[in-house]
Amino acid sequence: MLDSYTSLNIFVRMNCIISMVTRLYSHKLDGYLTNRVLLIITIFLPGVLFAHGDLDERIAGKTSEIAENPNDFNLYYERGLLYQEHKEYTNALEDYLKSRSLGNTDKAINYSIAEVHYLSEDYNKALKSIDSYLDMDSKDVKGKKLEAQILFRLQLYKRSVEAYRYVINNMIDIRPEDILEYGDIILAENDENYKGAIEAIESGLAKLGPHTLSLQLKKLDYLKASDQIEKALEQYNYFILQYDRKEFWYYKKAKYLSEVNRPDEAVVSLKLATIAIEQLDTKFKNMTPVIELKEQIKNLENFINNHKL
Amino acid sequence: MRKSAFLLATLYSVYSFAQTTAIDIQNAVAFVATNNVDLVKKPASVEVERGPYLQSGTPTSVVVKWRTDKATESVVNYGTSLNSLSKRASSTTLTTEHEVTLSGLTPDTKYYYNIGNKAGILSESNAGEMYVITAPPAGTRQFVRAWILGDAGTANNNQRAVRDAYYDYVADVSTNTGKTDMMLFLGDNAYGEGTDEQYQNALFDIYDEMLKKSVAWSCLGNHDGKSADSKTQSGPYYDIFTFPTAAEAGGIASGTEAYYSFDYGNVHFIILDSHHTSREVGGAMYNWTLTDIQNTKQDWIVTLFHHPVYTKGSHDSDTEGRLIEMRENFMPMMEENGVDLILNGHSHSYERSYFLNGHYGFANTFNPDEISKGGHTVGSTGYGDGREDSDGAYQKNSLDTEGAVYITTGSAGKISGGDLNHQAMSVSLNQLGSCVMEVEDDGKGGQNLTVKFIRETDEIEDYFTINKTALDLKAGGNEQAPKSAMLTYDADKDVVDLKVNKAERLINVKFYNNIGELVMESKKKSIKTGKLSKGLYVVEIITNKKTYSESVTVE
Repeated sequence: MLDSYTSLNIFVRMNCIISMVTRLYSHKLDGYLTNRVLLIITIFLPGVLFAHGDLDERIAGKTSEIAENPNDFNLYYERGLLYQEHKEYTNALEDYLKSRSLGNTDKAINYSIAEVHYLSEDYNKALKSIDSYLDMDSKDVKGKKLEAQILFRLQLYKRSVEAYRYVINNMIDIRPEDILEYGDIILAENDENYKGAIEAIESGLAKLGPHTLSLQLKKLDYLKASDQIEKALEQYNYFILQYDRKEFWYYKKAKYLSEVNRPDEAVVSLKLATIAIEQLDTKFKNMTPVIELKEQIKNLENFINNHKL
Repeated sequence: MRKSAFLLATLYSVYSFAQTTAIDIQNAVAFVATNNVDLVKKPASVEVERGPYLQSGTPTSVVVKWRTDKATESVVNYGTSLNSLSKRASSTTLTTEHEVTLSGLTPDTKYYYNIGNKAGILSESNAGEMYVITAPPAGTRQFVRAWILGDAGTANNNQRAVRDAYYDYVADVSTNTGKTDMMLFLGDNAYGEGTDEQYQNALFDIYDEMLKKSVAWSCLGNHDGKSADSKTQSGPYYDIFTFPTAAEAGGIASGTEAYYSFDYGNVHFIILDSHHTSREVGGAMYNWTLTDIQNTKQDWIVTLFHHPVYTKGSHDSDTEGRLIEMRENFMPMMEENGVDLILNGHSHSYERSYFLNGHYGFANTFNPDEISKGGHTVGSTGYGDGREDSDGAYQKNSLDTEGAVYITTGSAGKISGGDLNHQAMSVSLNQLGSCVMEVEDDGKGGQNLTVKFIRETDEIEDYFTINKTALDLKAGGNEQAPKSAMLTYDADKDVVDLKVNKAERLINVKFYNNIGELVMESKKKSIKTGKLSKGLYVVEIITNKKTYSESVTVE
């Protein structure tokens, strides 16, 4: 037997699903079919009951509100946002367009339309919508960022770089992810422009703090990819000196030294990695990553020795 | 059909709001009646509307924030004696959103404070209820208590009852009475959209008393994320909270308040954003987490993020994307690197796992056998209740480093049921409550991390302990390089002496520093090291037959 709370909960969730189905299919179903649909829903209810958490409930709730106020453009917009969160982009777009047709002139609707087109990978329509949005406010960094992302997908890299540059220069609380994306766009525009990409990283470090990890990691990637060997090694040294646990960095540096054919230095770095492991507390030595690292060190030592012979 | 559906939907709507509406009105009055107990507000034309509250506590600093109704200067007077707040931190900038950093503080020390402007004091507590106790230095083994609140933000009687139950607990507990080192919010701190007004009602008005004396930390919940924009680090959540982005409180610099870490005593806390930020392996948050967890030397590692990796409550970790991604992408890496406790919310229930390692699958793939037998529990007590007075505490030591407990505790404001039958859970409860985590010595050289689930009725409905032993096991001392057969170092004489096999002839000796640079060469068997700076060196000894590699730490 279900307790009263569980019964109520199931009842509530049934209501949500029924409301959704009703909204979607009421114009197509006669009484017989409606009963069949309800029967099917009931049979399969346990399987779908908690499939999407409370998002289904909220969409159903918004649908009920719309049934009461069918001309309220805010409700369509709000339900569109829920659909978008639920990754139902077609329904989301339908609601946004309905909201606009009912008189929603807020610029946010254009952003949402652009965003849902972008998420649906319909980049040309996305660009048109974000342009409409930016026509209303050309300085909006959020809009410029989406524009840059759309232009990137359309392979209009030069324009994408320009738009993203605006974002980087004007966004107040920039994130590491923004800088990383900007660097990638710079390289998409010109795959040899590591100088520009590294400058973007440096500007990010200046804004977010000199030790922001993801930016320092990306800087290392760029230095390696552009064959700036000495600077890449300096970057490895930065990580070694900056962090308490050094064993992984010594190994990574050794691997890179081996790749750039500097085996003697690689051996020294491997030795330092081994010493760093020996100095760890016992519990760290017994963790899988360190056990695996010891194996990797041994393998790389063997590899180097074999190639020296 | 449409009419029936509409009727059902209406009934649902009535049910949904029933939990909050009626009781809120009563409690709004109750709050006004209790808010000013012990706090003295001096007459002034400027009124404090929010706070003060404490952010980003470290051993030597803390951020004090508050809001006033009019723009004014920011002043914090503070000191170690309530009657002598002789130190002052201030800003002359006129603002309503005040944020003052107290720095240069002594670790593990109680500082009383008041707030005000140039004209005088705006908020103080004559009873000494406005204070901050600075964090102990990282690595210190001492008692730590954290109050954990998931999905608290209903601003209704449920939330207040849960709060009061904790207040009763901490007032009555026999050890470290009244001490709450931190508040850990697991997201959804203010329903339904995390707006500034909702935060006022559900966070500041509810926890005002505790926020004045305990540093609050949080991760982003999906409801907070409706008004906060992680893409621009803006919105109420990001405006209200001030979190470390540059490793100010320990750990690795993330460069963002969306995810960050901090140390408190011998506990390392890793806070992740499971809502807005990419959860991909190799993404910025993943890379940061990997480096951060592999850099800590703390005894305990606790992580918190909103979306639960294991739940069958009002959400289902078998079907929902964010939950699955956090479980499959982050947990293997975090378990491998020693995470002890995972705190989540989102489902409005309390679900607490066995002592797990290496599961990451759907609920029905959970195998209760011990990991050495191909299962997913750790140690002989891993499939027990984790209680010292029952099946026994969960055990970890320096040799057996696996094992973590997952807690979904999202019922600090409401309960929402669900099947509550996840196989990996030792306990699943559809009950209101919050958790308290306490770390302390076990009296035998090890430590206990104990978590209790405190219901709104004051009952402790669940508890468990993770016991760690052999915490001090080090190999050859942490600072000393291992002893070498070929090399001896005399620190007093600053000399390294080499012992070369009689059948071999020494050709050259090279000293490499801690970044692998060649810093000194010699052809002698006795080498002066006085010119070398302190630190670790790799010593390459080249003979006519072989090259040896040794190490020495110059003191």
